[in-house]
Amino acid sequence: MNRYFLYLILLNMMTNIIIFVPKLLLTERNDGAVMGVLIAIPFGLLLTILFSKLIGKVPQQGLPELLSQTFGKKVKILVLVGFACVWLSAGLLTLLGFLDIINRYINPEISKFYLLLPFLGAILFVIQLSSQKLMYLLELILVLNAPLIGFIIFKAFTSDYLNWNSVLEVATHVGAFPKFKSIAAATYAFSGYANILIFNRLFKEKIKTSNFVAIFFLAIFNLFTTFFIPIGIHGADGAGEYLYPWITTADSLRIIYGPIERVIFLFLMFYLSVTLLSVSIHWHVALEFLKGIAGGHISNKQKFAIFSVFSGLSILAVVKIDALQLIKFAGAWLQMRLIFEMSFIFLVFLIVRRQKK
Amino acid sequence: MSFKGLMVLLCVLLLAGCGYKDIDKRFFAVSMGIDMSKNPSKKYLISIKFAIPNVEKKPNEFIIVSEEADTIAEAVRIIKTKVDKEVDFSQTKALILSNDVAKKRMAPHLYYWPSRRRDFQEIAWVAIGKPTALDVLKAKPKSEQVPSNGIFLSFAQEGSETPYVIPEFLFDVKKRFSEKGLDPLLPIIETKNNNIEVNTVGLFNKKHLIVSLTPEETKMLNFLLNMEVKSAIKVDRGKNYFLIDTHKVKTKYKYKRDNKNRPVIDVSVKATGRIEEALFKLDNKQLAEYEKKAADSLTVEMKNFLIKMQKANVDPIGFGLYYRGHHFQTNDWQTWQRLYPQVTFQVHTNIQIEDTGLIE
Repeated sequence: MNRYFLYLILLNMMTNIIIFVPKLLLTERNDGAVMGVLIAIPFGLLLTILFSKLIGKVPQQGLPELLSQTFGKKVKILVLVGFACVWLSAGLLTLLGFLDIINRYINPEISKFYLLLPFLGAILFVIQLSSQKLMYLLELILVLNAPLIGFIIFKAFTSDYLNWNSVLEVATHVGAFPKFKSIAAATYAFSGYANILIFNRLFKEKIKTSNFVAIFFLAIFNLFTTFFIPIGIHGADGAGEYLYPWITTADSLRIIYGPIERVIFLFLMFYLSVTLLSVSIHWHVALEFLKGIAGGHISNKQKFAIFSVFSGLSILAVVKIDALQLIKFAGAWLQMRLIFEMSFIFLVFLIVRRQKK
Repeated sequence: MSFKGLMVLLCVLLLAGCGYKDIDKRFFAVSMGIDMSKNPSKKYLISIKFAIPNVEKKPNEFIIVSEEADTIAEAVRIIKTKVDKEVDFSQTKALILSNDVAKKRMAPHLYYWPSRRRDFQEIAWVAIGKPTALDVLKAKPKSEQVPSNGIFLSFAQEGSETPYVIPEFLFDVKKRFSEKGLDPLLPIIETKNNNIEVNTVGLFNKKHLIVSLTPEETKMLNFLLNMEVKSAIKVDRGKNYFLIDTHKVKTKYKYKRDNKNRPVIDVSVKATGRIEEALFKLDNKQLAEYEKKAADSLTVEMKNFLIKMQKANVDPIGFGLYYRGHHFQTNDWQTWQRLYPQVTFQVHTNIQIEDTGLIE
C-alpha cells in the first residue's frame, strides 16, 4: 500500500495548482511569498514525516478506532465531529472553486445550482465505496490524468512567452519577511497526508523513506509550478491580477497542431476527474469519521441524514458565496488548517503514548 | 425516499435547467477592430467581423457590424441589437487597433476588457491596423478561405515563417503594459487592394505608440527576442552584396560594468546559415572572410537598432526586467530608469557559413 501514500499527497498537490493557492501566493509575491514557499517546503515535509512515523506505530487502525481505545466516549464524539467538519469544509472549498471555474469557462448559461447537482450525485456515490476501492480509483485516475496534466505543465515550462527574468525578479524579493498566510497556503501542497487518519486502516507496513524523498522533490516542483509559472507568463507585476492565475495561464498556452488549439479546455477536462476525486476523498474521510461515532456501521436512514447535511451545505454555499468571498474564505481556511494540522499531530502523539502504557 | 429516488429526482431537475444555445443561434465573431470615432462625442468606433458559417458555394463570407461608443462593452451591447443571433467571442482571434488609436487614445480598458471576459481567448492576437482597423477587417485576400484567416495564418507562423512578423498574444500585451522594464510591441498590419501585409512592428511606452520600425529593424528585434530563426541577412560589400539564409540565430545579453564602471549591455549574436545569392562570383577559399564581413555588418545594424530604441526610451526586449531580476535592491527599477539612457551597447556577432548551397 506504500505507493498509495504518495498518491494521496500527489492528489493534493495537483488540486493545489489550480484553485486557491496560486492566487493567495501571488497576491503576496513581493511581500514574503518566496520566503514563505522556502519555509513551507521543509516545514511541510517535517509535518508529513512526523505524522507518518507516529501513525506507523499503530498500523491498520483509523482515528475512530484509536480514539475509542484511548479516550472516553464524549471526547471521541467531539473530536470526530470536529474532524468531520474540517474534512467536509476542505472538500466543499475545492468543489465550490472548481464549480466556479466550470461555470465561467464551460457552461456560463446554466446556474451554479444545477451544475452542482450532477457533481453531488457523483461524489455522494463515490464516497460510499470502501476505502480500498477508493484507493484503486485514485490510482486509476492519477495514472490516466497525471501524464496529460504533466504534458500541459511541460508546455507551460517551454512556452516562448515564459519570461524567466520576471521569475527572477520575484525571486529577488526573497528577503521579504513571510506572512503566516503565505506559509499556510504553501504547506497545503503536503496536506494530503492527513487523509491517512482513515486510510491507515489499509496500511500494513510502515511508510518507506523513499516516499519522503519523492515528496520532497515533487513539492519543490509543484510549488515552483504553482507560483512561478504564472509569474513567468503574466509578469512579475501583472500576475496577481487574475482571479484564477493557473487557469488563465493554461488559456495562454497554445498547442498549434493539437486537436484543440486552446489548451484550457483540455486542462479543465483533465482536471475534472482529479478535482472530483479530491473532493470525494475528503468527504469519504469525513463520512468515515461520522461512521466511527456509531462504531463503524450506520443504518440507511443515518446515511441519508448525513448525505442531506452534505448536500444541503453545498447547495447553501453555492447559492450564497460568490467567487471573491470564496477566495477570502479559502485564505482564512488555509491558515486555520495549518494550526489544526499541528494540533492533530499532537493528538496522534498523545494517542500513541497512551497506547504504549 | 430512497437514495435512488433522490438521484432520479436530481436528474429530472437537470433536464429543466439547461440553458445552452445551439450553434445555429450563435454568431461567431472572428476579429474585432477599434478605430477613432468620427463623431466627436464618442471615443471609439468598434467593428466586429462575424463569419457566416455553412455557406457552401461562397466560403469566405462575412459581415462587419460597427458602432461608436466610449467603451467596448457599450458598443458590443448595441451591436447585439443589430444582429439576429447571440454574439459569441470564443472564436475571436484578432483584436486590431488602428494606428491613430494606438498613438492617441490607447487606454488600459481596451486590453482589460477582453482579458476580463471569460470567453475571449487569451491567445487572441493583437495588432495595429493601417490605415484603419476597419480597412483591415474589410480586406478579403483572394487566397483566404475562412474570414480573417489570412491574419491568423500570418501570425500563427504556420503558413509562412518570416522574421518580419512578431506575433503578440493578448495576455502578453497585457503583461507588457504592466511589467516594469518590458515594453509593449504590436505588429502592424497594412492593407492595400484587398491584401494584407505584415512586416513591421510598432513600439509602445507604457501609454501609447512611440515609434514604428522598418522591416529590417523588425528583423533585428526578432533576433533579439529569439522568436524566429529562419531569416536572411544581407551582407554589404559595397556594390556587391550577398545574402545568407540562416537556420539558426541565437542572441544573449548581459548587463555589466566596464573597467571605467560605466553600465554596458553586452549582446552576443550567433547565427549559422548558408549563402543563398550573391551579386558576384563566390570563392570558397574566402568563406572565412565572408563570415567576418557578415558579422561586421550585422553588428553595426544591431547596434544602430539598439541605440534607436534607447533614444526613444522604449525597451521591448526587457533589459530593464533583466536588471530588476538580477539585482536584489527594492529600488532597482528606479536605478534602471536612470541607467538606461547612459548604457552603451557592445555587440559581438559570430556568423558561421555552413555551405554555399548546391553550388560550390
